[in-house]
Amino acid sequence: MSSTMWATTSAKPTPLSAKASSRRSSLCIVRCSLRDLRDRISSVKNTQKITEAMKLVAAAKVRRAQEAVVSGRPFSEALVDVLFNINEQLDIDIDVPLTRVRPVKKVALVVVTGERGLCGAFNNNIIRKAEQRMEQLKQLGIEYTVVSVGKKGNSYFQRRPYIPVDRFLESASLPTTKDAQAIADDVFSLFVSEEVDKVELLYTKFVSLVKSDPVIHTLLPLSPKGEICDVNGVCVDAAEDELFRLTTKEGKLTVERDTVRTQTTSFSPILQFEQDPVQILDALLPLYLNSQILRALQESLASELAARMSAMSSASDNAVELKKTLSILYNRQRQAKITGEILEIVAGANALA
Amino acid sequence: MTLKLCVLTPNRIILDSEVKEIILSTNSGQIGVLPNHAPIATAVDIGLLRIRLNDQWLGVALMGGFARIGNDEIIILGNDGEISTDINPQEAQEALEIAEATLRKAKGKRQVIEANLALRRARTRVEAVNVIS
Repeated sequence: MSSTMWATTSAKPTPLSAKASSRRSSLCIVRCSLRDLRDRISSVKNTQKITEAMKLVAAAKVRRAQEAVVSGRPFSEALVDVLFNINEQLDIDIDVPLTRVRPVKKVALVVVTGERGLCGAFNNNIIRKAEQRMEQLKQLGIEYTVVSVGKKGNSYFQRRPYIPVDRFLESASLPTTKDAQAIADDVFSLFVSEEVDKVELLYTKFVSLVKSDPVIHTLLPLSPKGEICDVNGVCVDAAEDELFRLTTKEGKLTVERDTVRTQTTSFSPILQFEQDPVQILDALLPLYLNSQILRALQESLASELAARMSAMSSASDNAVELKKTLSILYNRQRQAKITGEILEIVAGANALA
Repeated sequence: MTLKLCVLTPNRIILDSEVKEIILSTNSGQIGVLPNHAPIATAVDIGLLRIRLNDQWLGVALMGGFARIGNDEIIILGNDGEISTDINPQEAQEALEIAEATLRKAKGKRQVIEANLALRRARTRVEAVNVIS
């Protein structure tokens, strides 16, 4: 019949992202049906609605994550202020358990991943960084153990029992102090009981809406001045705090990073310490540890949301393009069918006449 | 004469108001702070912070931290904190029982340390609920 004239003999089903040039040659017998094409168009339309909604939800959540970082600033400012002043007033070198530097025989890696998928290469990047670090440590002959935070990392490490994992932790949507406290407790007890000699934190740093960087920070041992140190020993002064802000520039969403230097005011000179300096520092450094871990969790969440935004945005664009392709195909099929029917009628009429 | 009190935790500001008196539990015992107190800096233990505003006592469960008192201004930096009115009494009681059970089952130095910390925190929260007077 004339309706089969436009069907080719190729029987391979095409992938979802069929390109325009291969469309005619990759038609499958099943797809020639008008009804199937119509169903496919409506399913692509629904998928596009879902991915668009996910992108908007992720954008709203990034704003919330950013607010959480901003509301944590008074705490870190006050803490840095206090640490700075205490270090000025205590000239002697004090020995606090959290700052003891030991020869490194075992390292704890805290790996922060996301809770859900559909965020592009986010989880993969951080896990790959973790694997690289484990390889490095193995070559140096140093043992390691992993504290995995986040469902995606948990499922990855659970499927690989040859990697020693200390604990699996999960957090709810927005990281709270309780989550940071749980990680801090674990890490604290590992370090103080001398099971590990160094604790490193692997998380994704939020650079911009399209770029995020997995980084490794040394969490313990802490330096008494409250500096944040990289694995290579590069130290960042804690008084310089980096903030990211989601704003619009020329109508497009962008991220701006501000570096704010906190004003350190000096204490009154007659300030008395109620306990001896060791105890005071003993109370201050865990506060610092907690706030560092919370910051890492918040940044990791922000990077995950940004990655999801961009992944869902490109998924939406692809869906729109696919729908256009399918609609053109559908219309061509429809017109061919109508033409065929007209031809039949005309031929029939000619035969009778 | 009032004191300006600021209780901060890593993710939010718990309290920022003018109070008449506070009672703080530190590692070396409880200290009461009235206006015109001498400037001191102290470590805060896991315990209850009692605040008096206009003859009414309010409790805040603090999970350890640091306090700086001076010039009628108190800044408390805590690991975590909850105002007693925000704590659900039943949930706090259940958390306490779970913490006690975990401590009984704990083996090894690490687990005992962690279980002890969790127990102290749960106990503080239960105390905070009972302070409303």
